[in-house]
Amino acid sequence: MKIVDAKGELCPKPLIMTKKALGEIAEDETLEILIDNETSMKNVTRFLEDHSMQIRMEKKGNVFHLMVSKTGVIPESATVAEYCEIEVPKRNNLVIAFQRSWLGDGAEELGQILIKAFVNTLPEVSAKAKTIVFLNSGIFLALKDSQVIDTLIKLENSGVEILVCGTCLDYYQKKKELGVGRVSNMYDILERLSCATSVVYP
Amino acid sequence: MYQPVNYLILIFQSTHHVLKAEKVLLGKGLKIDIIPTPKEVSSDCGMSIRIDPDAFDANMVTSLLEESKIDFKLFKKWMK
Repeated sequence: MKIVDAKGELCPKPLIMTKKALGEIAEDETLEILIDNETSMKNVTRFLEDHSMQIRMEKKGNVFHLMVSKTGVIPESATVAEYCEIEVPKRNNLVIAFQRSWLGDGAEELGQILIKAFVNTLPEVSAKAKTIVFLNSGIFLALKDSQVIDTLIKLENSGVEILVCGTCLDYYQKKKELGVGRVSNMYDILERLSCATSVVYP
Repeated sequence: MYQPVNYLILIFQSTHHVLKAEKVLLGKGLKIDIIPTPKEVSSDCGMSIRIDPDAFDANMVTSLLEESKIDFKLFKKWMK
């Protein structure tokens, strides 16, 4: 059995090493490929499967062991570059945009307790917001006398960016009562919303 | 990231009780949080009230709500 040790190698190197090794072994021989990163493992697997190779994968510690039976043929012309997908790291870019001081449509008093419960649940959930934006009457949630102010301060202290619409504070004449976050403008707010991977509008 | 606190949690039979209790407690100057009822509690009502035990003790909260004839259950929960 031939072993290809591609540990520590980045794409396309493991693909090139695999292709070369497969050209060197006999029809009934098994090739073992060692890879220590998941992206390369997936790329190599896809490359082999597309060329009818039988693969068995085992993970030992941090190392993926691909056992390949040479059941197919890899033509010399096969290009490895197209199998070299670099995974874009998943960025947490969740933005929550409060556009009102209540949640949903219906009874006002219900909407008001629902929004409080919503805000107070934010520190509990696993999907952590990157930015929280307050617009229009949503700004009332971010004022000093808001019943969720402590939770919002807690979120801000843990690294969540909080932007509050300056025009809205001005309109409601609440600029002096702001209790959390940074007074912001439409440029910054639109920038955050458009760069978000997802936006939640409570 | 957040320091856990052993909160007092008040559970009610309906959302209307939650609203009434909120009014009573806020009227007395207590600082309370409306939260979704914790998952481990079986309750017909999805909303609960959370109180920081350092600020107000359970006896005080209990007597305020009993005065107003609001049924509730009280328990403690460590929360972030």
